[in-house]
Amino acid sequence: MKFSEKEIRIFKGISLIAAIFTVVISLTMLFSLIQLKTINPLDNPSVQSIKEQFDRDPENRDKAELVRAMDLMARKAYFSSRWQVETGSYLLLAGALVFVVLQRLVAGSEKQTKSLLPDKPDIDSERIRNNRYLIISAGALTLLAVVSSFVLRSELPSPGRSQIQNEPIDTPGATAGINLPGDVNYPFFRGEGGRGNAGGSGFPTEWNGTEGKNIKWKIAIPKPGQSSPVIWGDKLFITGAGEGVLAIFCIDKNSGELLWTGSGKDFPGASSEEPESDAEAGMAVPTAALNNDIVCAMFGNGNLVCYDHDGNLKWGKHLGVPQSSYGYSASLLIYNNLVLVQYDSQEKILLSGFDPESGEQKWETIRSGRPVNSSPVLAIFDGQPQIIVNGNPNVTSYNPINGKELWTLPGVSGDVAASLAVNSTMVYAVSDYYKLIALKPGKAGSAAWEDNSYTPDVSSPVANDQFLFLATGNGDAVCYNAQAGDTLWTHYFENPFYASPIICDDKVWLLDRSGNMYITDADSKFILISTSPLGEHTDATPAFSDKKIYIRGRANLYCISSD
Amino acid sequence: MWEYMDVAVLIGALLVTAWMVLKKRSRQGLVWVSVFSLAYFGFYRQGCICAIGSIQNLSLALFNDNYSIPLSALLFFSIPLLAALLFGRVFCAGVCPLGAIQELTGFRHVRIPKRVEAVLTTIPFVYLGLAILFAATESQFIICRYDPFVGFFRIDAPFTMVIFGSLLLVTGIFVNRPYCRYLCPYGVLQNIFSRFSRKHLTITPAECRNCRLCESGCPYDVILQSDLVTAIEKPERSLKESMSYMLMIPVLAVAFAVILYNLAPSLSAVSNNVKLAKEIRLEKEEGIKAVSKASVAFFESGKTEAELFTDEQQIIGRFRKGAPWVGLFLGLSLGIGFFRLTIRNVRYDYEPDRGRCYSCAKCFKYCPVKIKN
Repeated sequence: MKFSEKEIRIFKGISLIAAIFTVVISLTMLFSLIQLKTINPLDNPSVQSIKEQFDRDPENRDKAELVRAMDLMARKAYFSSRWQVETGSYLLLAGALVFVVLQRLVAGSEKQTKSLLPDKPDIDSERIRNNRYLIISAGALTLLAVVSSFVLRSELPSPGRSQIQNEPIDTPGATAGINLPGDVNYPFFRGEGGRGNAGGSGFPTEWNGTEGKNIKWKIAIPKPGQSSPVIWGDKLFITGAGEGVLAIFCIDKNSGELLWTGSGKDFPGASSEEPESDAEAGMAVPTAALNNDIVCAMFGNGNLVCYDHDGNLKWGKHLGVPQSSYGYSASLLIYNNLVLVQYDSQEKILLSGFDPESGEQKWETIRSGRPVNSSPVLAIFDGQPQIIVNGNPNVTSYNPINGKELWTLPGVSGDVAASLAVNSTMVYAVSDYYKLIALKPGKAGSAAWEDNSYTPDVSSPVANDQFLFLATGNGDAVCYNAQAGDTLWTHYFENPFYASPIICDDKVWLLDRSGNMYITDADSKFILISTSPLGEHTDATPAFSDKKIYIRGRANLYCISSD
Repeated sequence: MWEYMDVAVLIGALLVTAWMVLKKRSRQGLVWVSVFSLAYFGFYRQGCICAIGSIQNLSLALFNDNYSIPLSALLFFSIPLLAALLFGRVFCAGVCPLGAIQELTGFRHVRIPKRVEAVLTTIPFVYLGLAILFAATESQFIICRYDPFVGFFRIDAPFTMVIFGSLLLVTGIFVNRPYCRYLCPYGVLQNIFSRFSRKHLTITPAECRNCRLCESGCPYDVILQSDLVTAIEKPERSLKESMSYMLMIPVLAVAFAVILYNLAPSLSAVSNNVKLAKEIRLEKEEGIKAVSKASVAFFESGKTEAELFTDEQQIIGRFRKGAPWVGLFLGLSLGIGFFRLTIRNVRYDYEPDRGRCYSCAKCFKYCPVKIKN
């Protein structure tokens, strides 16, 4: 394309203006950034000071109003600076693009001339120069290596600090006490952190409980219950209750041998009461939780017990008989040095942390809202470990160390029984006959998307960063785009689901109430890998460990293995 | 599914680019391939998955058992290198969206003094070494973090990166492909593989007339002039000199390895846990209060200082192990690069430097030799 000289002059003029504009915007943005970094309105000392005064005198309404007003002002200032910076980015980009396009047009209209460079370089003298550079570089770098060996010695941490060098560290991938799913341990309801993602691979995908295909062992569970198995090392733990007995069973996961039975009510102050609950629920709905030293179990009458792995009672506590229409069901979690209990009763709803060694209560937080039947999950967002509860009506996150509320966002209402699904960026809450909602967590969090087409009543959803999977009480299995909320696939399996789906080995493991395990690809397309019948009614969520799957049926516990 | 679609498009784009460069000799065709790549890999797929970033996935997978590299990332890493072995740097020429955005905006040509160019072109080697080290030690993915153009593709980036990207684009108008020349770590691998390419772009379609017209035609200054060697006066002395220069290569390699080994504790400061441990130690030993968000989270997490310091030691230990290998690579690269400059190659034609040439085809129009259809 050819342009007249006048047009070229205009292009050059506009391009010069665009260049100046780009430079000015760059400098303004840099200035804004420096301002935002150095005087962050949210860290304004006067706001902090007023907040501290309010903390000391929380009943003072005037101070509360002042804190609100100043906090609002600081936030407005902060977000206004952020807006300036973000808008500046687009202006800068626009300026640069105008400059580039016009320069392109100007350059395209200029006549190309082929010209010779003044002199052909003298290769010989260049080579001689390069020889010299090689020698000088080798000498200089050798010298630098020697000097750095002396100078940089001080960079090493001092010996006193490395006394703990030989101490073992946590599981690889551990972040501030919250672990990634491992191949062996499956410590909580729905695995590590209660998040429904299991580690390991090579699990059998086909079995038949009736014919014995790939069934390594099968044992009758001494007492019935709805709780799920949990595993540490070679030991599997499961709870049961009936005929006045509350029990925790320790089973050798390789042979199915019952190693010991711990009572859930043989401790001072224990309750023998059995509050009313749903006929199917009973006293052993919550799943036990464990770590390297202890296993703790909660029962439907409010008895909380902790045993060591050899069956010695460490402590027991009665937390009060929970009044719940369906029966108490929240499973336990252990985070660092605290046993975490979500206690939901008609009278009060709490979250508490107990010392695993002594049973001493370290903190208790009174939650707001109505009681629920969901279980808490452990997750990390923005580097902050948190315990998150699918409450009614809010999803609320707490600091697991001290129970302080970190954030709360509107979630779901009705009969809230499903636990949360989490991935690295979102939290998903659901309740039946209401809705599924995806939340961006945090104080400034918000709802990302929601849907009310498929809502499980008991089974909890599970997510990874790409997909969210859920299974409903009507027998539907659904896959959503975890970020955008699009329904990627649905499949009707006919039988209802109570057990929660688990993501493991790039597959989704869906166990229906009739004992059929459906294994699908954890992908955007529905691909059914296999269907395996157990031949027994199943409501508990399976556990995965060492290439073996453990499923609690109504009467029996199964170890499924292809070995 | 998308990933495999991307792999198919990648292969297709590489083949079309190779055809444009080697058979059609069409600069115009190459520009259209660049436009397509920028639109597809850049704006439509938002710069991800990308061959440059896949270096980190591979490093992480090689040195960490608990991470398995996605097949698509492995393919994105290896297919462009295979293409470089067959056809030269056709990936850089028209397929890489980062190369394409710079290629389409680089239309003026300022010559950089050779010595400045020589110094600047060592940066990608250092960048590559550090990117591998940081990824292998699970510290940071610096290539993705400091990708200057991905913010344009996603219309979302930290504004410092928008400034950096915009300035790089503006600079690229005059100093063409600044990211490819002075930063791109994947370019280092392309450079190495392309040196052994089976076929490569030629400046002239037939016999070179040594007219020198193409000397000014390469914006990257990677055309090697012809060098018709006359008889060597003292071949024995020349051989001895070459041998002594070759000995400098291991010297440089060892020196770099020692330097990087000594720098390992400083380099490990990119790890968040090491940074945090230093902050906590400062508070403990010198009373400087730790105020960062990470330290606040640490205190609330209940993790002990002993655990944190153990973690720090482990990370520094991993840097100690990995850093000398990075140094060895840098020393060998520099040594071999220098050594190549000390030996004389007989060259009858003007040729592109196979390692550094981006196969952009800009030199075609400068060659007066044409083949009639």
